[in-house]
Amino acid sequence: MIDFELSPQQKQVRDMVHWFAEHEVRPISLLADQEERVPDDWLRKVNRMGITLSMSNFGGGGDRKNKDDAARKEPRERQSNRLGVIAAEELAWGDPAIALSLPGPGLGGPPVMSTGTPEQKERFLGIFTREEPRWGAYALTEPGAGSDVSGIRTSAKKVDGGYVLNGHKVYITNGGRASWVVAFATVDPSLGRAGHRAFVVEKGTPGFTCTRVAHKMGLRASETAELVFEDCFVPIDNLLGGEAHYENRAGSSGFRVAMSTFDSTRPIVAAMAVGIARAAYEYTLDFVKREYPRGSRLQSDVLAKLGEMDSKIHAARLLTWEAAWKADLGQPNAKEAAMCKAHAGRISLEVCADCLEIMGPIGLDGHLVEKLYRDVKVFDIFEGTNQIQHLIVARRLYEPHGLRL
Amino acid sequence: MISFLPSDEERAFVEVATQFARERLRDHARNAEKARTPGDDVISAAHELGLLSLEIPESLAGAELPLISQVQVLEALAFGDLGIVQGLPGLCDSASVMRVLPEPARLELADGAAQRIPWIHLAPGEVAVIVERSGFRLEGVAFPRRAVLGADQLLVSFVAPGGEAILAWLDRTAAQWSEDAGDVRLGLLAAHIGRIGFEGTVVRPEDVLVRGDDAERVLKAAQARVAVLEAAKCVGAMRASLEYAVEYTSQRKAFGQEIPKFQGVSFTVADMAIETEAARNLVWLAAHAVDSRGEGAMQDAARALAYALRSGRFVTNQGVQMLGGAGYLQEYPAEKWMRDVQAQAVLYGRELDWFERAGARALGLEEKEGVLV
Repeated sequence: MIDFELSPQQKQVRDMVHWFAEHEVRPISLLADQEERVPDDWLRKVNRMGITLSMSNFGGGGDRKNKDDAARKEPRERQSNRLGVIAAEELAWGDPAIALSLPGPGLGGPPVMSTGTPEQKERFLGIFTREEPRWGAYALTEPGAGSDVSGIRTSAKKVDGGYVLNGHKVYITNGGRASWVVAFATVDPSLGRAGHRAFVVEKGTPGFTCTRVAHKMGLRASETAELVFEDCFVPIDNLLGGEAHYENRAGSSGFRVAMSTFDSTRPIVAAMAVGIARAAYEYTLDFVKREYPRGSRLQSDVLAKLGEMDSKIHAARLLTWEAAWKADLGQPNAKEAAMCKAHAGRISLEVCADCLEIMGPIGLDGHLVEKLYRDVKVFDIFEGTNQIQHLIVARRLYEPHGLRL
Repeated sequence: MISFLPSDEERAFVEVATQFARERLRDHARNAEKARTPGDDVISAAHELGLLSLEIPESLAGAELPLISQVQVLEALAFGDLGIVQGLPGLCDSASVMRVLPEPARLELADGAAQRIPWIHLAPGEVAVIVERSGFRLEGVAFPRRAVLGADQLLVSFVAPGGEAILAWLDRTAAQWSEDAGDVRLGLLAAHIGRIGFEGTVVRPEDVLVRGDDAERVLKAAQARVAVLEAAKCVGAMRASLEYAVEYTSQRKAFGQEIPKFQGVSFTVADMAIETEAARNLVWLAAHAVDSRGEGAMQDAARALAYALRSGRFVTNQGVQMLGGAGYLQEYPAEKWMRDVQAQAVLYGRELDWFERAGARALGLEEKEGVLV
């Protein structure tokens, strides 16, 4: 049945995360942007609170108090993706850069969860405890392979007991501080996508270094690293899924691991964009209520703009919900994931720009909205540019007509 | 729990509507436009399938379906042809008034789905409302609306001098009005669009169905429902335009290759798909909200309509564009969908107006006299 009411668990997650975003994240938002880092003591504090950036936090297992009741009823519907987008919107509403800096496996989590062996899951995901903040990361993009990830050149040469990696990765969120990085490399460039492999490379591995942390237009508190692999030996146990994963499944490759990750992470990224747009909209709404005289021409001039922003935000949110819902049902959702990412990435920037326009010059000086505008631009770029999302949508539309784009 | 899964019943109903739209509406669209009426055969067939009574209350022999079911059926029908759908009896705006009216049975309609009854919700100043010793007198020509031509009954609502909202039922046997088809050429030509001329039309006390606060509640509730239903129809036309554009461009070659291989084409089509999906989701959200909260969900309804009108104009315009010169020709359906959606946008309020109302609501502004914010 079509339904848009949040379940009790979804409401609980939304309210809990929103409380955290409002009371713990937002107060340090402008400071973190200025210092281009999230304070260490704050990270230790939230880690002790058990707050991490991982979709597995919202596993959809349901309310444990009612577990016995649930067991007597029908099996619970999986809802981790829906919980993920609900939480991501609220966190990003607080501050997207801080959200991306929260301890946890981050974008490295989904490939380990989806492809890792039970031993690998235990080994790599088990390190995220309350004692000490730790991070995971996801290293795919290279200087010569951005949107076209099939063109990665980081090499993985098979040697006794493992692989030797050589290559260069860029735009890696939390890449410098991460305890491990899921890195994609090719065993043979001539094999194209079939030659791709995913490795978990641990911090401190000889030959693995973080060479630079980038300075950016926005998301300044989020660490964006460049990583270099120089004759970096990675043991066979760190090949994600093990050799069997690539030998036993026809057509299986690291490329597939990378792509399937996008189907669950793009709705999360889109939801974050929605959260940013909503933050800017609500901030501006308060500003207009406070600063624009009631019934003035100024106020009536912005009514349509406010209404339009509200509709764009709702439309984008529903697209992310739809993509997440399909993922929870185990249905292919590449088209919906691309749609929500393309739409949310675009409209969130439009909303932030409109908010700045409404605020006028005053918006330049110490107001959150200008920071959100700088932050949100990258949501139309990372996790696949807007153009890549369009390509994916178009491919799915023309596939039934026998046309391969 | 968030879910986008229609019920089995809804899927079955949509399948019937889709088949009807493909077999009876799509091919007949041009003829209906030329004849300026859907035609008796189509109306009878739609009536037989129960497609005309979706919104009408059971007390008037209707199906009284929830909006969330109706919007799916209406999208499927409008996918066939929006112009015909807008000319069908039973699917008029008055059905939504009947749906929320206390005691609709007093309208004494044997079969609400069989008659074309317009709801004329007069804007402030649109026609003069004069208080008479007993009742009101209406003077002036109303704006063009659909379902007007040939109507023997009218639902008319207005704000009387002094600010009281009035909803009245006028019947030709007791009230006089004229109708003028005018010179409508843009679109929805089978929708019986015309202007009502009130020439001293008297609204007697016994014609008034509800007044005052009760009338305002009824009008708001009906307006929310109309907004959702009209948005759903718009989505149907958008989907028609999108699917036709995909099919046509997949076959069309230029410069030695299929034209979707040029990203100027495929990316535009992707945008059409994204906008259609976004508009549909907002319609579903609004339908669900109105089913749950009635007129309290006006904001959701207004948002859905405003978005659907705006994205509908974008999608159907690009639907023509993707066909190039062929899109401009009447041998192809795309130009008609563009005209129909543009006419729909004109009839159901400029989207700017809807967005302004949404903004006013967000700021917590009071309702203005006679304007349902």
